[in-house]
Amino acid sequence: MKNKITQFLGFSLMTASVVITLIFLISIIYLIASKGLPVISWEFLTSVPRKGMTAGGVAPAIIGTFYLTVGAIIFALPLGLACAVYLNEYNSKGFAVNIIRMSINNLAGVPSVVFGLFGLAVFVKFFGFGISVLSGSLTLGILILPAVISASQEALMAVPYSIREASFALGATQWQTIRKAVIPSAIPGIMTGVILSIGRAAGETAPILFTAAAFYKRGYPDSIFSEVMALPYHIYALMTEGTKPDQQTVIAYGCALILLVIVLMISSIAIFLRNKYGSSYVN
Amino acid sequence: MKKMITTVLALMICAGNILAAKIVMEGSTTVLPIAQRAAEEYMDANSSSDITVRGGGSGVGINSLISGTCDIANSSREIKDNELQAAASKKVAPKAFVVAMDGIAVIVNKNNSVSGLSRKQVADIYTGKVTNWQQVGGKNERIVVVSRDSASGTFESFGELALNKQKVVSGALMQASNQAIATTISTTPGAIGYVGLGYVTSSVKSVAIDGVEATVETVLKSRYAYSRPLYMYTNGEPKGETKNFIDFILSEDGQTIVTEEGFVALK
Repeated sequence: MKNKITQFLGFSLMTASVVITLIFLISIIYLIASKGLPVISWEFLTSVPRKGMTAGGVAPAIIGTFYLTVGAIIFALPLGLACAVYLNEYNSKGFAVNIIRMSINNLAGVPSVVFGLFGLAVFVKFFGFGISVLSGSLTLGILILPAVISASQEALMAVPYSIREASFALGATQWQTIRKAVIPSAIPGIMTGVILSIGRAAGETAPILFTAAAFYKRGYPDSIFSEVMALPYHIYALMTEGTKPDQQTVIAYGCALILLVIVLMISSIAIFLRNKYGSSYVN
Repeated sequence: MKKMITTVLALMICAGNILAAKIVMEGSTTVLPIAQRAAEEYMDANSSSDITVRGGGSGVGINSLISGTCDIANSSREIKDNELQAAASKKVAPKAFVVAMDGIAVIVNKNNSVSGLSRKQVADIYTGKVTNWQQVGGKNERIVVVSRDSASGTFESFGELALNKQKVVSGALMQASNQAIATTISTTPGAIGYVGLGYVTSSVKSVAIDGVEATVETVLKSRYAYSRPLYMYTNGEPKGETKNFIDFILSEDGQTIVTEEGFVALK
């Protein structure tokens, strides 16, 4: 009897936790959707800001966020994957490797504004890329690098050793084994890491504040050295620097909604890829 | 896939060399609404031009002008001597254009019963000598002092115009933008803050200084105590697109924007 009560209490607590979490999630989505939906229209998505940012659309910010996010993935994915392969397949023990692991874990805990300042000092000033898509993408890339590395490492670790042994037994070299046997099996896990990173890269404000974002720009970026408007920064700018809060707050909520939808869209592409590769390779 | 990425990157880099008539403006968040609207209308009329507007604060803008990363520095204060020296050492000769006039309005929460303060009372509040609204004729409530951060030109101007260069009390809340101050004031009962005239909305209450309300008229006639010019700085005599843009802001159409954004036009 006593055990049953304990079990009942335990289950109730867990159910309550799930319900509370869901309530938060649903209320956030409801709040943003209810305040943002009224301004969303085809024109809002495709035109530039008008009348001192109180009318028109946010197309440059959408495009900018897209560029920055894709840029960050282009930099972080190959680098992160190579790093994970090295740490997991070639050199998984030893003092130096432990130091590297520790550094990566620490990097994951660095506040995003610190990455912003780093990007400003290194990419914008030292390398002279200026305030640009390139600087912003590199900064965001470094920001998501730890997540990509640890997800890739977990995925590589989960690949059964027998797959490697089978490949070696067929006479494959270590590189061939990694490329043709290990990585394809690990792709679902790597994709999960990328999915989580995309959300973070698209939504961060601090790292692009000093490295990529412009308060206002009409045209679309014509090169990787152009500045861009970006959705998270646009929300920040409208809420802090706008002179007409009545009209601009609504636009900010509209941007928040678009940002949510973009993250969901990119994520679903990654999920689709994960499922496709997942079904054909994993044993 | 790899080839595609390389090609895309190469294309992007090549495209960087083809530049349109580009102007980068950076600096004061007070001047931001004017700069943004002007950029918008200028680009409407000249489709080939490409104008970027960034905030950051007057100090940041002037710094960028000196280091060559912007063409026009927006500033809500005059350039300082040490900035002029820094500019001279980099062979930059900042040239000032007064583009509008602005009054720094002192604002309080809507529910505050105080509707006027003397210049001395404002200085006393901001230097911490007066800490309760009762001391300046209000109800018994602690005064929450809200100020701009030190990168702000409004902060500098206010320090000169209202505080005679005395330091703001150390317990003051420092906010990074005019809008942030307005939001804090509208949600904090005992708060007092200062913003550019364009940021006074119906959600806060502007107090009269020495009996004079901050309005377009009192600022233009210099009757309001905290009036100041707003500047755009260029490197030397502006040329080409930058000159056209400055000319546009000073034109009748440009000054209409100034008025529409809640600032004081020059004429």
